[in-house]
Amino acid sequence: MTESTEKVENICDARRRILNIAVSTVLLETGFDAADKVSLETLTEMIQCFITEVGNSARGYCELAGRVEPVLGDVSMALINMGISLQGIEQYAARPSRHIIQPPQQASVPRTPSMLSAGSKAKPAPHIPFHLPPLPDPHAYIRTPTHKQPVTEYEAIREKAATQKRDIERALTKFLSKTSETHNLFNTEDNQVYPLIACKPTFPSYLPALLPTDQVFDFDELEYHFQVANRTEDMPADKKENSDNEGDNGGDNENANNSQSETQDAPLGSSPDRNKSGG
Amino acid sequence: MKKERTGDNCRPFKLAHQILSLTGISFERRSVIGFVELTIVPLKDNLRYIRLNAKQCRIYRVCLNDQYEANFQYFDPFLDICQSDPNTRSLEVFSQFHLAAAQKTDPDHNAGELHIQVPEDAAHLVGEGRGLRIGIEFSLESPQGGMHFVVPEGEGTLTEKSAHMFTYGHTARLWFPCVDSFAEPCTWKLEFTVDESLTAVSCGELLDVVYTPDHRRKTFHYVVNTPACAPNIALAIGPFETYVDPHMNEVTHYCLPHLLQILKNTVRYLHEAFEFYEETLSTRYPYPCYKQVFVDETTDDATAYTTMSILSTHLLHSIAIIDQTYISRKAMAQAVAEQFFGCFITMQNWSDLWLAKGIPDYLCGLYSKKCFGNNEYRYWIHQELQEVMTYEEQFGGIVLDPWQPPASGARVDSKDVFYFPVRNVHTMSPRYIEVMRKKSHLVLRMLEQRIGQELLLQVFNKQLSLATNAANTKIGSGLWGHLLLSTNLFVRAIFTVTGKDMAVFVDQWVRTGGHAKFSLTSVFNRKRNTVELEIRQDCVTERGIRKYVGPLLVQLQELDGTFKHTLQIENTVVKADITCHSKSRRNKKKKIPLCTGEEVDMDLSAMDDSPVLWIRLDPEMSLLRTTVISQPDYQWQYQLRHERDVTAQSEAIDALHNYPGPATRKALTDTIENEQVYYKIRCRAAHCLTKVANAMISLWAGPPAMLTIFRKMFGSFSAPHIIRQNNFDNLHHYFLQKTIPVAMAGLRNIHGICPPEVVRFLLDLFKYNDNSKNHFSDNYYKAALVDALAATITPVISVLQPGAPITADSLSADTKLILEEITRVLNLEKVLPCYKNTITVSCLKAIRRLQQCGHLPSIPTVFRAYAQYGQYIDVRLAAFECLVEFVSVEGRAEDLSALLAVVEGDPSPGVRHRVARALRAAPPFERGARHALDTDQLVHRLWNNMNSQLSNDARLRCDLVDLYYTLYGLKRPLCVPLPEIQAMMKQMHHRERERLERERERMERERERLREVREVELKPIIKQEIVETPIKDELQVGPMLTTDAPTELPVPLTHIKEEDDKIDIISVTDTPMPMFNEVGKREYISDNAAPLPGIPGSAGPIGFEPGMFADRTDLGAPKAKKKKKDKKKHKHKHKHKHSKDRKDRPPPLTPGALRPPSELRLREETRETFSSLSSSQSPSEDISLTTNMSF
Repeated sequence: MTESTEKVENICDARRRILNIAVSTVLLETGFDAADKVSLETLTEMIQCFITEVGNSARGYCELAGRVEPVLGDVSMALINMGISLQGIEQYAARPSRHIIQPPQQASVPRTPSMLSAGSKAKPAPHIPFHLPPLPDPHAYIRTPTHKQPVTEYEAIREKAATQKRDIERALTKFLSKTSETHNLFNTEDNQVYPLIACKPTFPSYLPALLPTDQVFDFDELEYHFQVANRTEDMPADKKENSDNEGDNGGDNENANNSQSETQDAPLGSSPDRNKSGG
Repeated sequence: MKKERTGDNCRPFKLAHQILSLTGISFERRSVIGFVELTIVPLKDNLRYIRLNAKQCRIYRVCLNDQYEANFQYFDPFLDICQSDPNTRSLEVFSQFHLAAAQKTDPDHNAGELHIQVPEDAAHLVGEGRGLRIGIEFSLESPQGGMHFVVPEGEGTLTEKSAHMFTYGHTARLWFPCVDSFAEPCTWKLEFTVDESLTAVSCGELLDVVYTPDHRRKTFHYVVNTPACAPNIALAIGPFETYVDPHMNEVTHYCLPHLLQILKNTVRYLHEAFEFYEETLSTRYPYPCYKQVFVDETTDDATAYTTMSILSTHLLHSIAIIDQTYISRKAMAQAVAEQFFGCFITMQNWSDLWLAKGIPDYLCGLYSKKCFGNNEYRYWIHQELQEVMTYEEQFGGIVLDPWQPPASGARVDSKDVFYFPVRNVHTMSPRYIEVMRKKSHLVLRMLEQRIGQELLLQVFNKQLSLATNAANTKIGSGLWGHLLLSTNLFVRAIFTVTGKDMAVFVDQWVRTGGHAKFSLTSVFNRKRNTVELEIRQDCVTERGIRKYVGPLLVQLQELDGTFKHTLQIENTVVKADITCHSKSRRNKKKKIPLCTGEEVDMDLSAMDDSPVLWIRLDPEMSLLRTTVISQPDYQWQYQLRHERDVTAQSEAIDALHNYPGPATRKALTDTIENEQVYYKIRCRAAHCLTKVANAMISLWAGPPAMLTIFRKMFGSFSAPHIIRQNNFDNLHHYFLQKTIPVAMAGLRNIHGICPPEVVRFLLDLFKYNDNSKNHFSDNYYKAALVDALAATITPVISVLQPGAPITADSLSADTKLILEEITRVLNLEKVLPCYKNTITVSCLKAIRRLQQCGHLPSIPTVFRAYAQYGQYIDVRLAAFECLVEFVSVEGRAEDLSALLAVVEGDPSPGVRHRVARALRAAPPFERGARHALDTDQLVHRLWNNMNSQLSNDARLRCDLVDLYYTLYGLKRPLCVPLPEIQAMMKQMHHRERERLERERERMERERERLREVREVELKPIIKQEIVETPIKDELQVGPMLTTDAPTELPVPLTHIKEEDDKIDIISVTDTPMPMFNEVGKREYISDNAAPLPGIPGSAGPIGFEPGMFADRTDLGAPKAKKKKKDKKKHKHKHKHKHSKDRKDRPPPLTPGALRPPSELRLREETRETFSSLSSSQSPSEDISLTTNMSF
């Protein structure tokens, strides 16, 4: 936000400066050697107000005449309406002693962020008049095809997901091994390199092993998958739908939630084919 | 007709009804107070004594008809088995006493521990056919067997801690007085008073649950109306959650708290098993209800009792688990099958055990065929067959029914064959029972092939309907005998139903032990267009093998199709000429028909002019046999590729181990990739390819074996080096995905280490493993990856000075990566445990492997911690395995003592048993090796346990007998000599020393020679290779030895151990090999072979034999052919001499004539020699290693 307002101010500043120069030039022409800052500002303010007024008024006339863009006549009318004589204005403009203000440097146009374009724009149908604006991107009114990621992308994403997962696991186990008792694999005193978290007996010992927590499964989902989805293997379309649905909540693995959301899109593009060959 | 004495008619009374009432069941004190009342019907008027079974119970009062108190005596011979010979320490003597003790209390011999005298004034109560009630009050405290209390430590009430109890085994006498015989069925009334929060599950129908007046306890009343025998009565009490089967409401499942969800999943398909059996046997399920109780700390996965089974809670699994599903489903189906045979119909004598075990196995086999498919079934049968054959060859032929000798033919007395009595189930080795069960199954399956499945099922059906009729009658009808089944009854029933007399079959396979062994060779005769087959049974004199006479099916696959020929085997050598159907015409392109009727294209370029593609013997496994088929490699390859039978494929894979070459590699690769092939075959092919690739390493070009296959199958589409996200929906692929990495990890490059490429590949698998989209848990897969990492580890090549401590810095780069991975996943398991902690189990094994190979210091602290009570059972067992192995390597007495303490007193009976078995499997020292651990204290400790301490746990006792046998053999252990012998030994000692002086001089000379020889040697070669390769191979493929030897270098220690066993067998035969070694040993004694006190000849542990290298070059690979010739000659020449040698070998060198010329001793010695050979892994080191070395 702040950035954009700044830009607006900059633009205003530039215009104001030009006006300032213009006023100063006229003053010089008239014979002043110096001017107070305040008076200069006042004069600038005045001329700005004047120009604004002329512009507004000219637009009024233009619109009144049913046009979109003002023409010279509109400006003349505005000036006349304000009681300003147009007499000699041409001569004045062409006076020999006039100073020419350097045109302001073209401010680099701030780049408007390019629209996210997806797909190729459709050609307008023949019945649509040519002057109407072009059709928007197809995703705005048909659907969004996600594009097949380039080959290297998949690899990178898998790589990233794997690294993230590993980092999280490593951090977790490292933390735990620092904060709990450890076994040492070596005969040395310090146990920094390959510490093994000591095992603690649990009672009853079978519970954690039979009800594992390493992965969270939605058992109803699985039930559905094996009981219903698996029975209709001969209907690949169905199956595809299934597997797509389940992709969203088919159980999240360890702490790698972040990485998952990233990987989600990538493999889907090619997965249906592979699912078929795999299933 | 003389009535034979059987289990059901030997007692002078019949049991009509029994009441069992347990009231004071206390979990805190682990005690039970109870009362039984047996209603017996005397068969004679003058019944003076009644003998019942009761063990570890305290009997307070015995009362007849509630009025007359009777005197009783209690005598349990198991409390001191060798009472009359307390000083004996030999297993031979023990076995006799052991059997005597078992028979002294065997109800089937009208015996028992509890001896009740009918008092004079109550004599009038006894009358033939009049019921007599015997009431017995008893209590039981901290039972050591038969009943188990699981009371977890920690805070909370008993219910919160899921404390529970259950009975285990089939020995009812351990928890209540009874007639502990399978042949004495009766009706039951069972009452159990338990805490209000607990549930008592027992046999029969639940009639009522009544609260006690104070409302703090309740009594469960069960009644069994179908006659059941005491060993089939069971009880489980605990805070169970109950789940009524939604498909069959007469089936109820019980599990411990919090497990209901996975219980529901586990028992999902149980009703299908019921339906299957009812349909197959066309009989209704014989009982009105069925209960499954899942409890902790059981000894077996499933034990079946009347109307209920007690199963291990570790069978439970969620829907996301793959591997466990197969095991659990089979175990439950097995238990249901046992309801029909084993519970409803029981055995008449111990000798009929094979029927009680075999029939349910057979039925369960039919079910699993339906459930898991024909391939799985055949593969399973094949595995069982091999297992049984291996056991028999090691220990002797198993006679399924040893009571009655076969009608014709001499029989080896079974007593002489085994080191334990096989005539009573309480004295049998648990392993024997296991194998016997498998053999029973196989024999029943053979019977099915003889008479047809339908007829066999009709026989079962007839037995069941007879029994069902009998079960509905009262005892007075005298029909309860129909509930029993014996071998004779069975044969008679078969005859009645089918009209076929199976007596010969039974004589041949049930009443005679052992199996047949055929070796087949074939030559194609081009002129006559015949195949000349020669089938030999050479080994008939060997242990566990006997001569077979009868038909034998030979199946030839020719170009024109499959042809079966039945040959009559009448002799040890049978020759047959079989005319080929097809002319040699392989130039014509035509499809080849297979036995299944399919027609396939084959690439016939590998063949020579014989039209035979492959030969199989007894393809349907209709005999108990092992086959050794000699055919050229391309025939094996054709068999692997094109034969549709999984057993044939499996045999082909076994054979192809010996034919490394590009063609074999191609065949195996194609098999792995072929989606049509059964997955277990594909997995085996992968492992075989590992061996083949290692054998042809010098010719190998391109990426490591299987890498391409794996990437093709599992690599992601755009980046093949990254594995896809896991999707285990295709189970075949799942198993391959698990297996291939392990197989690849076995690859070795030319330096004998795992190629770095493979290690990187495995680490990548870890890294990119992503299970987020999978429907299944990947715990077994991850465990397999850890296993694979462990398999890559090879003995360390250390740059450190020997003796320097191993630190984290001294590890090699690869090892560091591996260790980092292992520690990471192991630590992660602490926070996020996976199903059954499979990863931890694999990690422990991997750590041990790192220690074995010298990458980590060999310290057992980690394993000790994981072996503690309170860890998950699988983890504990894995840790114990590591500890046992640790003891056998490091040999410290206190470690062994700690393990024995576990065997004696671990809270979980299953762990006690398993540790004892682990000790037997990896004994702490070799028999007679004069190991430091081989002390008399150990002998006494084991003996004491066997003899008296374990009186209440027959299984553990027999486990220890197994261990004792492994350590000491049948005779008195050497370390506890008889006093008189000890005195003589002192004299011997002196002479021995003199002899050693002389020997040493000679040895110095030998060393000189050895040093020269070693310079010629280029590579370290394991000497053992020669010995290990079966003779058969040498005859066929001489040059193979060269390639084979170096690549086998990094054989893991365990493998070498196994090989030792093989050697043992070979060494007894007449091959010249052992003789060389014997002589060698005699001549060259390593200089640290300490002069031994006594025992001439067995010169103690010799790690390294100076002569071995010299001989290696003589026999070496380049002259393999010559060697063969030499050997043959040698054999003939020295045959006589050799056999003489065996008899009185010591004289030429040993001065003492004291040495007993027993063959057993001889065998021990050769074994010892070989084991020391095998332990010298790297012959380049010039030290003699005395024990198993650590690398």
